[in-house]
Amino acid sequence: MSSANLHSSPERVIAELQAIVGEDKVRCDADTLHSHGRDWTKAWEPAPLAVVFPRSTEHVQAIVKLANAEQLAVVPSGGRTGLSGGAVAANGEVVVSFDYMNQLSDFNAIDRTVRCQAGVITEQLQHFADEQGLYYPVDFASAGSSQIGGNISTNAGGIKVLRWGMTRDWVAGLTVVTGAGDILELNNGLLKNNAGYDLRQLFIGAEGTLGLICEATMQLTRQPKNLTAFVLGVENFDGIMNLFNRFQSEMDLTAFEFFSEQALQKVVEHSKLPRPFESTCPYYALLEFEKLNDETEEQAMALFEACVEEGWVLDGVMSQSLEQLKNLWRLREDISETISRWTPYKNDISTVISKVPNFLSEVENIVNSEYPDFEIIWFGHIGDGNLHLNILKPDSLDKSEFFEQCGKVSLAVFDIVQRFGGSVSAEHGVGLLKKDYLQYSRSPEEIALMRHVKQVFDPNGVMNPGKIFD
Amino acid sequence: MKVLVAVKRVVDYNVKVRPKSDGTDVDLNNVKMAINPFCEIAVEEAVRLKEKGVATEIIAVSIGPKVAQEQIRTALALGADRGILVETEEDVQPLGIAKVLKAVVDKEQPQLVIMGKQAIDGDNNQTGQMLAALTGMAQGTFASEVAVDGDSVAVTREIDGGLQTVKLALPAVVTTDLRLNEPRYASLPNIMKAKKKPLDTLTPDELGIDVTPRVKTLKVEPPAERQAGIKVADVAELVEKLKNEAKVI
Ligand SMILES: Cc1cc2nc3c(=O)[nH]c(=O)nc-3n(C[C@H](O)[C@H](O)[C@H](O)COP(=O)(O)OP(=O)(O)OC[C@H]3O[C@@H](n4cnc5c(N)ncnc54)[C@H](O)[C@@H]3O)c2cc1C
Repeated sequence: MSSANLHSSPERVIAELQAIVGEDKVRCDADTLHSHGRDWTKAWEPAPLAVVFPRSTEHVQAIVKLANAEQLAVVPSGGRTGLSGGAVAANGEVVVSFDYMNQLSDFNAIDRTVRCQAGVITEQLQHFADEQGLYYPVDFASAGSSQIGGNISTNAGGIKVLRWGMTRDWVAGLTVVTGAGDILELNNGLLKNNAGYDLRQLFIGAEGTLGLICEATMQLTRQPKNLTAFVLGVENFDGIMNLFNRFQSEMDLTAFEFFSEQALQKVVEHSKLPRPFESTCPYYALLEFEKLNDETEEQAMALFEACVEEGWVLDGVMSQSLEQLKNLWRLREDISETISRWTPYKNDISTVISKVPNFLSEVENIVNSEYPDFEIIWFGHIGDGNLHLNILKPDSLDKSEFFEQCGKVSLAVFDIVQRFGGSVSAEHGVGLLKKDYLQYSRSPEEIALMRHVKQVFDPNGVMNPGKIFD
Repeated sequence: MKVLVAVKRVVDYNVKVRPKSDGTDVDLNNVKMAINPFCEIAVEEAVRLKEKGVATEIIAVSIGPKVAQEQIRTALALGADRGILVETEEDVQPLGIAKVLKAVVDKEQPQLVIMGKQAIDGDNNQTGQMLAALTGMAQGTFASEVAVDGDSVAVTREIDGGLQTVKLALPAVVTTDLRLNEPRYASLPNIMKAKKKPLDTLTPDELGIDVTPRVKTLKVEPPAERQAGIKVADVAELVEKLKNEAKVI
């Protein structure tokens, strides 16, 4: 669906949008169309008809009703940090941006919940929780820009999934406008609610294809105490997994991440951060735990010693202050931003944890043998079985040629993913980028049912058409 | 050459402190504590001197409660050889600290004392200068470079609008500024080794020092909240507001 199918003229549609949200909240200037017509992928040329900025759920509902009447495609847009092209409007769609719906309200200290409009920035919720002496645990490098509506629509994961789960686990209630224009109040913040299907769950991770998330009741939790990080140098990949199992069997880790020496080198150079220690190791693991007392520290040290004796770990450091904790985390968290200058082709793949070592070595073999000239940067949420495989664009290749070649690598990689029963998109969603590969992770029957579900909520197909599947 | 470094246990630099509800002090309950960043730089400098073969022994000393052992252990993990805790529950102020340090200096006879230019809790910037005065040692404050040469040390100081290099006869007191060095991380093997390094505990009484506070804190309150900015519609409104509300034009 594109603006070519519109019932009325574009001018007329824009006037109707203005009648809903006000003249100054509909923008058609080149800058806004460009900035709000795409996400972090930047692979598609943005070309929306207009960008609208609703300020209430009622505005959103009126926009969706108009879209149905006019055969107008709607692209929901959050913080535009998505990595799958979910928030891309390249075909004359109207972009619905939640930038002006960014209020927090109704904090409840007993339920530990707070209402968020969809445009609340992830970090804003984290800070709000902190001020109440509580914690919102979903976190990742783009938290300063991404929005709660976008996080819910991608079921964002991040660096604390191991202990606190995905965004899904923190959504206690949703207010949505469906593709048909109905307002639904889903789950009302209840912890227990087995009265029929939980429709809330369908909207989580739907990438804006079923409707728009307008408000959410988010769950908060107690603050972790004295978070402390180890960065360990590791000889090989098996070492990482062995060390993970050993620590997990005795401690509740709050995070377990890994990155390669190439990744570290680039970050150290780019961010001017000190290396964790002088020796270089092929891989590094970052693990984090709550240091409750001397006992926890001793336990962690004993585990470290045991891992050194086994030959899995070569060296390591422990954060002694929040500043050091932050800087050690940056070694991992700055990778995405650092490598963006090489227009990386990103794969976000997962398997069950027990299969990770074999999975990784097969993927590595394929990539190394088929594409020896490409530089590969490995990192990821290894404690969740989630690997980020980043292929850097050699300066000599142009963008389209590079992406085409990577597309071929992906087929080989996804073959392996399929054999391992893994996912072609662990946490970034499908959007435009992964839709050709959905069948590697989902059966034809599943995909057919997904289409039916979409049909139910969005009978005229106005919601984010062309995303996840055509 | 023996080097003495002073380390202080303070509220972690990244913690947003809040005053207690009765306004008597900041609330330190369940707050992350760490080694004062300037002291960390002092430890690093001492360790570098040892790595260069200039320093032969590094003694880390802290004055504070029993838990300040943690910060001494950090210094030991970074490369100090032994630690001294002068244990007291009293809120010891710069003059008291300087007197205790003088007693330790008398006992240990270091050639160089390296300490932070200030601690980030009280921001006093007094202790190093007081210690130099009490001991009669030379002082080089706000150091961004330290070069020991025989029986003297050249200290490059960060002063308003530039740098000044002073040459001091040893023994001397040097206080560190931020740009002196970038402290390393404590490695896990060294943290383990540090547990076996000697750590002696003394009290101010044993050293014959009275550390009773001389300055009384009257009240602690948070700074006024910043008002959110507003958008003005046009230049005319801006000028109007600057004239009549802000009264700056
Ligand atoms: C440096 C960097 C690091 C990252 N690290 C991680 C990570 O560790 N883990 C992780 O999971 N992701 C990560 N991401 C990806 C991204 O930040 C997440 O997917 C995030 O949840 C996207 O939120 P957003 O608000 O930017 O959404 P957008 O990019 O604006 O949109 C994402 C999708 O949600 C839809 N959408 C947005 N708002 C709404 C709404 N209100 N209603 C309905 N649909 C909506 C859009 O149409 C689109 O399909 C990272 C990205 C970057 C740039």
